[in-house]
Amino acid sequence: MNHHPTEPQETIVTDMPDRPALLKRWRPRGAVWLAAPAVLVLLLALAYPLAIVVVRSFTDPAPGLDNYVWFFQSAVNRTVLQRTFVVAAWVTLVSLICAYPYAYAMTIVGRNLRLALILCVLVPFWLSGVVRTLAWVILLQDSGVINSFLRGLGLPPVKLIRTLPGVVIGMTQVLLPFMILPIYSVMKGIDTRLLQAARSLGAKPWRAFLQIYVPLSLPGVYAGAIIVFILSLGFYITPALLGGPRSILLSSLVQNQVLSLLNWGRGGAMGVVLLVATFVLLAIAAPLMRQKHSSTRREA
Amino acid sequence: MRNFAGALALTMTCALALPVFAQETPVAGAVKEGSLEGKTLTFVSYGGIYQDGQVAALQEFVEKSGVTLLNDGPTEIAKLKAQVDAGNVTWDVVDTADLPPYVHCGTLFQKLDFSKLDVSKIPPGQVGECSVPAMNYGVIFMYKTETYKDNPPQNWVDFFDTEKFPGSRAIDGSGDPTGGLIEQAFKAAGGDPKAITPDDIEKGIQKLRDLGPDTIYWKTGAESQQLAESGEADMIMMWTGRAMTAAKNGAAYTPVWQDWLVVMDQMTIPVGVKDTDAAYALLNAYLGQRSQEILTEKTSYTPIHMDAKPQVDEITASFLTSTPERIAQGYQQNIPFWVENFDLAAEKWNALLSGN
Repeated sequence: MNHHPTEPQETIVTDMPDRPALLKRWRPRGAVWLAAPAVLVLLLALAYPLAIVVVRSFTDPAPGLDNYVWFFQSAVNRTVLQRTFVVAAWVTLVSLICAYPYAYAMTIVGRNLRLALILCVLVPFWLSGVVRTLAWVILLQDSGVINSFLRGLGLPPVKLIRTLPGVVIGMTQVLLPFMILPIYSVMKGIDTRLLQAARSLGAKPWRAFLQIYVPLSLPGVYAGAIIVFILSLGFYITPALLGGPRSILLSSLVQNQVLSLLNWGRGGAMGVVLLVATFVLLAIAAPLMRQKHSSTRREA
Repeated sequence: MRNFAGALALTMTCALALPVFAQETPVAGAVKEGSLEGKTLTFVSYGGIYQDGQVAALQEFVEKSGVTLLNDGPTEIAKLKAQVDAGNVTWDVVDTADLPPYVHCGTLFQKLDFSKLDVSKIPPGQVGECSVPAMNYGVIFMYKTETYKDNPPQNWVDFFDTEKFPGSRAIDGSGDPTGGLIEQAFKAAGGDPKAITPDDIEKGIQKLRDLGPDTIYWKTGAESQQLAESGEADMIMMWTGRAMTAAKNGAAYTPVWQDWLVVMDQMTIPVGVKDTDAAYALLNAYLGQRSQEILTEKTSYTPIHMDAKPQVDEITASFLTSTPERIAQGYQQNIPFWVENFDLAAEKWNALLSGN
């Protein structure tokens, strides 16, 4: 994800033609070993347990595909799997709508205001997700702040808690920093003189923005969207507290199988299905992103 | 578990008969001075005020025996299974929910040797092949006093009657199904819980589903308390401990005691612990009268020693389930039935909780 922010810059900056050569000279042999600590942690803490989960899903309690047959035969599982992806898509969309203008504002305001905006993103980011979710309970519940306010104005109350929109609101707030920060880091690298150039060539402001600025910011949008979407798929606490039975996501069902019923094979199969579904979706989205990306480069 | 009742009778008989033969009869609460010097025991429970109270109840045992008591938690059967499977059990005494010691008796939990425990003062019917009770509490429902002023609900059948008693309901959705609740739902659907069959589970669940989409399934005890204190639902199924705390915090709800569901936590010793005798010593100390009084004074849960006389305030006393009146009103779920049909009930319950 980190290479996204610098890429458009590389293509834009033209007064350093020898930069790639410079980079090449600076590539010492064995640099790959710098990644060793991270790779080791990933192998031990991610790859190994994941492998066990996959193996168990095919062997526990008996070798075969029983766990997967069970998964797809159960209407509950299918409904909840579909719901999980729908909720993740909604959260990604709503986060994007909130994050894009916010990140843009961060790039154009003065220094102090920018600092304040960054703090507004980061401070909730440092708080535990559980605390923030409980705060949402107090805001959204039938006897909560929002509904008391509406009642005070003589308006009918709205059903927010234990509904899908309630879950989406809560998850969006928790995940918003993951959308804002990648978009901002790309946006702040965009050379605004390109916009001025477009204007000087006769483009209206909105056209310069849509045709020059938006495409240049897309790498950040993609990065943010992917992170938010994938994190949403695994959400557990927020849907459990803000949702009702009709907004339970797959992780709650996994938890139930693993912790309460001790069906580790079935829990593993559920995890594998979610993982594979995510990969398939990413595989579909990836060519689309590459295409957009290269067209951005050509334009730039 | 088909022979549950038989095994229970046998173990009880053994426990009662043993004093005649045994050289040294255990007495609940008694601890031998310095008997566990240099030893370490890990006690696992659900944390919070409850585990603090249990540790306070064990304080005398720790001081007298010289044992080092470590605390861990919360109890997760999956973690215990991992320990037993790996042959490295670090949890010596484990506090569990109602059913696990019956479901996993002999596989995860040791069959208890009742020559090492004094269970004579435990209320009847509560000692299992692999467990002794850790404390008692109840599941009741509380109704919003203001909603049902003159015509309040009287029992669980009323709880399920949304025509006579309109309003929203909140139900324990924190984990495993509550067998007693499904039995009451089945009763409200016109069935006889005494003759419940596996096919009837769905009928009970359907009655719950019929409560409608406004039904709240709370995930934690704290959430149920929060619902009561902020007046979110008209009737709330609650654990007595949480109901009491909500009442103390001013929740405007009235408890309904008719057919309150008897629940207990269980004390168990996992299979493969390193020092079984030390674990027994802890259990036996925990069952003592004074220990149980301390437990209740600290946690407000009902003691499982019949002679215990805890000193508690009025509200707490009104939520204790050990008075003759409460014992007469209580409803005991069909444990052997729910143990035998655990997977089926859990599957149907999960379908309900995921909106299906």
